[in-house]
Amino acid sequence: MRSTLNSPRLARAVVLGAPLALIFILILGPLSITLVVSFWQKIGFSMRPAMSFENYAAFFSGTRLEVLLRSLWVGVCAAVVMLLLAYPIAYLIATRLRTALVRPVLFLFAVPFLVNYVVRTFSWSELLSRTGPVNTGLMAVGITERPLDWLLFSDFAVYLGLVTAYMPFMVFPIWLSLSGMDRRLVEASWMLGEGPLTTFRRVVLPLSMPGVVAAAIFGFVGAFGEVAVSLILGGTGYQLLGNTIQSALNTLDYPLAAAISSVATILMLALIVVWAQVFDLRLLLGKIMGRT
Amino acid sequence: MSMTRGKIANLLGWSLVALVLVFLYAPLVPPAINSFRDVGEGGLFANYAAILSDDRLMAAGRTSVIVGLLVALISPLLALLAAEAVRVWRIPRLVLGVILIPLFVPGISMGVATALFFQTLGISPSLLTITAVQVIWALPFGFLIILTVMANFDPIHREAAYMSGANRIQAFFEVELPQIHPGILGAAIFSLILSFNETIRTSVVQGGNNTVQTYLWSQYQQVGLSPNLHALMTILIVATLVLLALLAILDARQSRR
Repeated sequence: MRSTLNSPRLARAVVLGAPLALIFILILGPLSITLVVSFWQKIGFSMRPAMSFENYAAFFSGTRLEVLLRSLWVGVCAAVVMLLLAYPIAYLIATRLRTALVRPVLFLFAVPFLVNYVVRTFSWSELLSRTGPVNTGLMAVGITERPLDWLLFSDFAVYLGLVTAYMPFMVFPIWLSLSGMDRRLVEASWMLGEGPLTTFRRVVLPLSMPGVVAAAIFGFVGAFGEVAVSLILGGTGYQLLGNTIQSALNTLDYPLAAAISSVATILMLALIVVWAQVFDLRLLLGKIMGRT
Repeated sequence: MSMTRGKIANLLGWSLVALVLVFLYAPLVPPAINSFRDVGEGGLFANYAAILSDDRLMAAGRTSVIVGLLVALISPLLALLAAEAVRVWRIPRLVLGVILIPLFVPGISMGVATALFFQTLGISPSLLTITAVQVIWALPFGFLIILTVMANFDPIHREAAYMSGANRIQAFFEVELPQIHPGILGAAIFSLILSFNETIRTSVVQGGNNTVQTYLWSQYQQVGLSPNLHALMTILIVATLVLLALLAILDARQSRR
């Protein structure tokens, strides 16, 4: 019995346990403290421990409530648009591409995702402006006589910015779940006489749902809590939830910022928990985690 | 008949892919073009030269480099140890669940949370807080990369090492590490790229320090973008592309083995 508690075992517990504890503290610590601070009161430029719901009341009323509702709506719409683009792309990569080309094509989608999205968003405001290349080009070929006003500082611009910011990364979980799929299931459906559409709807789509939903949550949360895209491409007054948090920070109202952040985090955690409960994740994680 | 329909569907599909890629890559072009505008007497690279004489910008650049290297060092190391812990203690769901959380929390919320955390601990904003918030952001990506290479490592090699008398530490350093080190290097480059391109989280915990990214962000909000900031953005894009090329070369070499 003593030998199982010998020093190599203890050393291993420390070497692996300490970094793991550090990671847990650095991720869960901030989120927990934020939840606590969200009940505190703002006093002048500082704050005081309390058990008050006034920050939540301030959040769930007036303009901030409007922004919350709009963020939910924009988040859902943007996630749907992103899925409609990411799914066919991931599907083609997983099923119609030679193995040697899969990694290079996936890489093509990783590159723009990794270039800072704030910089990319600055570029969009440049490209879509009244004197920008898009308007100049459209006028040159005679599609329009005057610059199009709805290109910039509009819903269109915001959705374009959101989709190009978050969609590339969504290809990966969808591709992961599609490529982990057992192809014999598709062949079985064919042999049983089902056409390609039914096979897709009844076999392929359900099997890829873990990746689809993970991707959808990622895209939704990104759009929902956005700061830069709405500020740069939405124009004055266009606010998403991230902008509300930013303006609370600008007035040093940390308890309010904490309350809004907590709502966003709890909403996200709820989505993730439902996702993990509903789907069998072995298919999605099998490729990453091996056979364990 | 159905053959041609399939072909048309395929063609439409790949046209969509190409179109999406055009939209994704288009924003990489304008900063480079703008960086060569309004150069005046100073020659073609005047806007780039102006960066060198801007003390605040150079300081931000130094901060970016230091933080980037720290993130590239710390993040893969933590990811490797966490991946090892997953394997030893068989707790994949718990560890994966916690490490992936920052992927799904809005950037500004994670920034606020980290700022409050350090404030509660009495740690004032510094390079340390910036590094912490970026490590947490880079960790999920590095962790997934390292888990994948570890899954591809056949445990039978480790068993063989044990049977030839190696202890765990020897087996790891002499048998497993040589096989998985491209993955670790990949995670390091990935972390560096993510660090270089992080703005929003950093802007909440930066205090008096600026990284190149937060400097750009605050300049945009205060006075708008000047020509030398376009030059700066071009440098950022090119640096990211160079690092990605490095990653691609590494990956190609690995798969050729």
